[in-house]
Amino acid sequence: MYDPTFWRTEIWHPLTVHFPISFLLLATLVMLIALFLKGTQAHFWHRAGAYLLYAGCLAAWVGIYTGGLADGIVSRKICDPTVLKDHEIAADNMAYIFSAATLLVLALRLNLLRVKTRLLQVVAVLLMVVGSGFLVYAGHLGASVVYQQAGGVNVPAGDCAGF
Amino acid sequence: MKNAKLIAILFLLMAPFLYSCEEGTDVVESGTYQGTIDKVNPEETEIYVNTADDKRLELYFTETTTLERNGETVPFEQLQQGQQVEVEVEKVGQRLEPIAVRILE
Repeated sequence: MYDPTFWRTEIWHPLTVHFPISFLLLATLVMLIALFLKGTQAHFWHRAGAYLLYAGCLAAWVGIYTGGLADGIVSRKICDPTVLKDHEIAADNMAYIFSAATLLVLALRLNLLRVKTRLLQVVAVLLMVVGSGFLVYAGHLGASVVYQQAGGVNVPAGDCAGF
Repeated sequence: MKNAKLIAILFLLMAPFLYSCEEGTDVVESGTYQGTIDKVNPEETEIYVNTADDKRLELYFTETTTLERNGETVPFEQLQQGQQVEVEVEKVGQRLEPIAVRILE
């Protein structure tokens, strides 16, 4: 059944946030594996991780933007907006940390940094691991807003009228 | 020259961290509070108010929220950062609903 009320502004956020969640967690795993490989294998995994990181970082900022759109609507109806605020703070920290990692990886791949490259690669992966921690925490809080407080969810009438 | 480039790039990498320190908000009991507006968000008709006892209140205006200055109703655009205000809030769950906002200056 087509329901036009599905396409509400706050719906854009859950539609977009799953891209950075999957891309960035996978990028971190791939980059972590690349650290322990050598030669062409390491090159392949590092390049794959870098592409996932670029896409994930871009998707993260799209998620931050759509989250801002949803915030003003959802905050007015959920029972505990402090959870939403913590979700926003964790997501912001995640996006900034992954942005720093992206810049570092980009600088290494473009040969802008030629000293201590191995160390800087490890620093980039460490940033991604920390960013993943914030990502998981932000995801947990986001799920709490949706599943415990029905944030952005249309709650049907008790008698299911309209269906 | 190499060092200068390296330092410039590292500074660039550190810049994102300077912006990632957003403050949290507090929940208070229903009542009337005085404080200073810390931030105004016109797109969402939302204000942040720092109270005298160091609480930060995030208030989303509703259709029934009244805004007054010298006893007269004024539009939301009159609110500015740094203004002294008195806010009457009702705590619903952990959400603060602004009943009335009065500009004190």
